[in-house]
Amino acid sequence: MKNHNRLTQQQRQQEELAAHQSQAPSGKEFAGPEDLLRFDAAQTSVPESIAERLQNSSATVAPPSARPWWKRVFER
Amino acid sequence: MNEPVSGCDVRGEPLKEWVAEEFSSLYNEHSRAIYYLTLRYLGDPQKAEDATHDVFLKAFRKLDQFRGEASFRTWLYRIAINHCQNLNNAWQERHIHSGVDDSVWENAAAKTDSPLRVLETKELGQRIQKALDGLPEEYRLLLLLVADAELSYEEVAELVGQSADAVRGKLHRARKSFATLFEANG
Repeated sequence: MKNHNRLTQQQRQQEELAAHQSQAPSGKEFAGPEDLLRFDAAQTSVPESIAERLQNSSATVAPPSARPWWKRVFER
Repeated sequence: MNEPVSGCDVRGEPLKEWVAEEFSSLYNEHSRAIYYLTLRYLGDPQKAEDATHDVFLKAFRKLDQFRGEASFRTWLYRIAINHCQNLNNAWQERHIHSGVDDSVWENAAAKTDSPLRVLETKELGQRIQKALDGLPEEYRLLLLLVADAELSYEEVAELVGQSADAVRGKLHRARKSFATLFEANG
């Protein structure tokens, strides 16, 4: 039982450490500018307001003609 | 997928709704890449928001002109680059711009093969922006495009209107310049 408790405590500490590291990844090293920019892009969220504005704007625009553009887009 | 329709009914839905639905999934797939490019290229979150909106609206209007010769993302990038360059040109016409000579970067101390170390990622975005802002526009664009793992060197070369070899050469200088500025801002 004691061993079980110790294991649980260790697991908890490891989980806390992992959570802390993922929240504050200090001391990171990047192979080069592209690697750094990829990390930065992954951390960047797109403002939700863009989708809302786009929805409103596209509603006033006539739909594109029914040429099969989608076939080329979705069957790639 | 079923055959397209020339009228207005796809899967029992009006064409406009169907297009909007499919376009929405394209937006979800590519909006981060386009927003990030405009954000770091223009260096202003509000301008990037407007530009991303305008780029996708333009793409929506011109969907029937997409010929499928390139990937959809490459097509979007082309619209985004043109849009951002037009914005920058309009800005530069109103402001005096002092470019930095290429020899400055040639003599820079930073090594391109050294890793970039970051102690604090909290204000990393600002530091990256500062470094990008100090780069010639061409280098900034190259780095941002090459950072997108979905694009090949050939696609990047096509987007910037140069040969793949020229891109490789310039990319070397762009990396070096960025590293110099990034370290200086650390």
